Amino acid sequence: MSTDTDVDYDVKDPTLSRFDLVKEGARRDGVEIVHYAPRFPKPGTRAERRVERTIALLFGLTGLLGLAFVVAYIWWPWEYQHGTGLDKFYNPVLGLTLGGSLACLGAAIVVWAKKLLPEEVSIQDRHDAPDLDERALTGATIMNMVDETGIKRRPLLKGALLVGAAPLGLAAAAPLVGGLIKKPGNILFETAWKPANGNLIKVTREDGSEVRPEDVSVGGQATVFPGVPHGATNQHADSPVLLIHLRQKDADALRANLKNVAVNSEDGGAMWGNYVAYSKICTHAGCPASLYEQQTNRLLCPCHQSQFQITDNARPVFGPATRRLPMLPLTVENGVFVAKSDFRVPIGPGFWERP
Amino acid sequence: MKRRKIDIAALPAKAGAEIDDRLQVSSPLRRLFNKVFPDHWSFLLGEIALYSFVILLLTGTFLTLWFDPSMQEVTYDGTYTPLKGIEMSRAYESSLTLSFEVRGGLIMRQMHHWAALLFMAAIVAHMLRVFFTGAFRKPRELNWIIGVLLFWLGFVEGFAGYSLPDDALSGTGLRIAHAIMLSIPVVGTWVATSLFGGEFPGHEILGRLYIAHVLLVPAILLGLIAAHMGLLVKQKHTQWPGPGRTDHNVVGIRMFPGFAAKAGGFFMLVFGLVALLGGLFQINPVWLFGPYEAAVVSAASQPDWYVMFLDGSTRLMPPWEARFPLWPGHHYTLPPLFWPTVVLPGVLTMLPLFYPFIEARFTKDKRAHHLLQRPRDVPTRTALGAMAVSFYLVLLLSGANDVIAYKFHISLNAMTWAGRIGLLIVPPLAYWLTYRACLGLQQHDREVLAHGVETGIIKRLPDGRFVEVHQPLAVPDAHGHTELPYAGWVVPKKMNRLGALVPTVKGFFFPIEEPAKPAPQEERPVGAGTSREEITSSKK
Amino acid sequence: MSFDDSAGAAGPPREVRRGRLLAGPVRKSRLRRRVFAGLRLAAALAIVGGTYTAFAPGSQAQDTPKLSDAAQIGKRQYDQSCATCHGPNAQGVEGRGPSLIGVGSANVEFQVETGRMPAARPQQAQVERKQPMFTTAQAQQIGAYIQELGGGPQLPSGENLRAGGDVAEGGRLFRVNCASCHAFSANGGALSSGKFAPSLEPSTDRQIYAAMLSGPQNMPVFGDNQLTPQEKRDIIAYIQYQKHDKDPGGFGLARYGPVPEALVIFLVGMVSIMFVTIWIAGKS
Repeated sequence: MSTDTDVDYDVKDPTLSRFDLVKEGARRDGVEIVHYAPRFPKPGTRAERRVERTIALLFGLTGLLGLAFVVAYIWWPWEYQHGTGLDKFYNPVLGLTLGGSLACLGAAIVVWAKKLLPEEVSIQDRHDAPDLDERALTGATIMNMVDETGIKRRPLLKGALLVGAAPLGLAAAAPLVGGLIKKPGNILFETAWKPANGNLIKVTREDGSEVRPEDVSVGGQATVFPGVPHGATNQHADSPVLLIHLRQKDADALRANLKNVAVNSEDGGAMWGNYVAYSKICTHAGCPASLYEQQTNRLLCPCHQSQFQITDNARPVFGPATRRLPMLPLTVENGVFVAKSDFRVPIGPGFWERP
Repeated sequence: MKRRKIDIAALPAKAGAEIDDRLQVSSPLRRLFNKVFPDHWSFLLGEIALYSFVILLLTGTFLTLWFDPSMQEVTYDGTYTPLKGIEMSRAYESSLTLSFEVRGGLIMRQMHHWAALLFMAAIVAHMLRVFFTGAFRKPRELNWIIGVLLFWLGFVEGFAGYSLPDDALSGTGLRIAHAIMLSIPVVGTWVATSLFGGEFPGHEILGRLYIAHVLLVPAILLGLIAAHMGLLVKQKHTQWPGPGRTDHNVVGIRMFPGFAAKAGGFFMLVFGLVALLGGLFQINPVWLFGPYEAAVVSAASQPDWYVMFLDGSTRLMPPWEARFPLWPGHHYTLPPLFWPTVVLPGVLTMLPLFYPFIEARFTKDKRAHHLLQRPRDVPTRTALGAMAVSFYLVLLLSGANDVIAYKFHISLNAMTWAGRIGLLIVPPLAYWLTYRACLGLQQHDREVLAHGVETGIIKRLPDGRFVEVHQPLAVPDAHGHTELPYAGWVVPKKMNRLGALVPTVKGFFFPIEEPAKPAPQEERPVGAGTSREEITSSKK
Repeated sequence: MSFDDSAGAAGPPREVRRGRLLAGPVRKSRLRRRVFAGLRLAAALAIVGGTYTAFAPGSQAQDTPKLSDAAQIGKRQYDQSCATCHGPNAQGVEGRGPSLIGVGSANVEFQVETGRMPAARPQQAQVERKQPMFTTAQAQQIGAYIQELGGGPQLPSGENLRAGGDVAEGGRLFRVNCASCHAFSANGGALSSGKFAPSLEPSTDRQIYAAMLSGPQNMPVFGDNQLTPQEKRDIIAYIQYQKHDKDPGGFGLARYGPVPEALVIFLVGMVSIMFVTIWIAGKS
């Protein structure tokens, strides 16, 4: 620190320059300005004028581009039309003008700060050593507060406070938890395929029309939904099913494998002819596992790349999934597909209570 | 008419005096003006995050005027032809309206989304800077903890925002979030059912996410950011070591006008960048994704980049499911999803939170530090950081592995295996490489300090040997030694760092200054050559 | 009964299927369907038997005149370029190429027109699109030959198969049936073990139609019973609409979702802002 830090200025001394006052103020704030020099010691040089021109140009561009933004915002054709008309450029023009204007403004300010403000090096004292006297005084004040309440020597009040505060705390949490909480019940165990009033649920397309065996070609697949009201909407997000028409030899392979999974083989097997229906909801994280490869008979989930072997009861053969896709037991009534029953195991991602 | 005498020039001073009469703010205000900030590019990374947050608040407020988080089914009848007559939720419809029928709505949406990506990217960059330079050490542990919390809050905020438009990607993301909740042992089904208000997706979730996205999380973010900045002001900024810089001072420029002007200009530059991104690069084209339907998914379904590493960890997780036959007839399941999406983020929160204390415990360093460390000088920490970064990068790349597989014609299954193996091999490798690199850099610094800068001048000695002439960094002492102690800061390693090259002439088309004169002959680094033989041989 | 009817590719028109919810048309169509199915079976048997006798050794000479002019030109092309793998009479060669009996001209036209056939390296995970060896006309001639050999699905005539397609309905169908593999942008995506669903960027109307109809390689078949010809036109209309539409938000980043967005925020956003920080904090 230089010597003049010890001098106590008389702030009202009229002989002091403004910068003397600045330095005195800084000194009182623990800041010493050790180096302070104008960027251009000789005013009005070519170099200085050049910097000024640059900044002025940047401000000018700011205004110009800002104006261009407003003009484009109002008059550029912006309403969506198919194809590549002028409206294609509405968003880019807005971005270029607004972004350009803001960037020019920012650049102008930064150039000003860097090139025109005086060069400066200041040193500020951190004052980071703890003041132990102060700490002792504050500590005593706090301890005194505790003493004043007398909570230490009044055990009855201590107990009473706890007894009183704890239930109130619970009361604060109760509405939040109580309002939100909802019993899971068996929503994870049932889907819309569960027969209602003894009627089997029809297999339908998204528009509600029934699906016949001949509607799905060999080597084809269709996303189908339970034939209940809103069956194809998100109200029944657990019910979408992939109906696959296997080739003869693949179907034979699957038929032979059905016995490996008890629930798929009971009640005459869950396949109907060469058709099989699997839940579309991945048993890993619930994405629709619907990337069906008809030659390799794999079903891929695009979210985490679990792969299921169709001809082996949708056994997971790759990726993070651990469980087979549940098979929807199919049959045909009056020429249209129906589900013989609900899925025989819970569909979708795993959860604690899942057996 | 009576002319009132108003001295315009004296007005501000008068107003100031009136305010100070009432509030006595002179002293605290001046202390703020005079606050010294050190100047280094790496100290500006956190500012990017701050400015992005302000941009997010501004553009987000605009979006709330049109967005409607309702899950009510409507039929689209807007200007975008390919969705005309399609059933969708009101939330998705209002996102389309914002994009196509609100003038300038699309750029606002895009700026909001880009600013969100920039916010998270800047937070990560800032965190890395703080970590690798040791700025989190005592007394700044609390601010580091707040920073870690800010990252995770930003993560939650971003995910909520990504879910709101109810397009196919949002819905797929939410469905995975639902599955993640389900995977929690014992309480999972209760948590999921309670938050979604019943079955997935239900009718509640968007409304709840909306209030979290526009009020709850931003309010906490704002509070934590205020605390973060308050602590920064209270504790003062760290600084790099250098001439005159100690643990007890801050060397830099005063906040006003220099620092504030630079910061203000920087804000405008960040704002400009976000506007340019929002105008030039299309982001999250919800109209192409279509409305969310439970049966619909697209190839390459990804979350935004800051969530992608969790998607990656989920993809790499082997199919390990735990089953607990607790009592006969009752089996319980712990799905594989639990580990990469609940346990891993838990670990990734806790480890950084406690890292400052863990490190202090291992190094037995209880002192306060205000001078930063160069990463090379703390090889263990730097190597640990490199390990964490490489771990994160493997996960991040695995989160995009289907796109990489498709674009570069690699087998998807091979990508998954590469990720699984890479996750085990790459981090230790990164640790080792970084550690060695740090040691090498340290050694080179010491060597230059001892022997000087290589000049590139080869000299032939009388006995026929060739040596390279070195320019010592210090004036030789009485014994002819020029060795300097390491000061924890950059060691000049090239001659032009020592001013050996003539400075470039300013001016693009014509010089605007007198061209600087070449350095005088005697300053040329030739003389100090003869005593250098041992040094050159010690190079190996 | 003609060849194409008997092969079972052409389903009932869309109105019939859509009207199934009403009682009347359902009965009528079901009856018709059954009759048709029976006829088809009989015809198919007849064709298989007929083809067998026709192509039994020694009888080729008598068979050739049955082919149409186009098919005869196609047969010449076939014998030159395809017969090595698929056999002289398209009955297939074990371990080299499958039989083409019954695959239909749609399949042939798709494979030949997109350059997938003749395959350069049939052993790779997936035969890829490349510069076609034959012109469209030649592909159609080979298709005609295979069609006349064994029947199978056929394309409607004309280049423009999007006419009359409903873009919005097509978009809905695209998202349910196609987007899972080809991605929402029709830019393609990865499948298991190195296979992939290709981008539809270079695909013509006829190629998309043929792909749906024939299910090339691992793509599932979308027969006319599942997606009616009108629905196929809707889907084509949607795909081509999107191809020719702008990206209203600026540069579309290949419409590939969050991955290119992540690249942009780091390579463009963070990199440029880093330069700015270095400039701001640098010595002036």
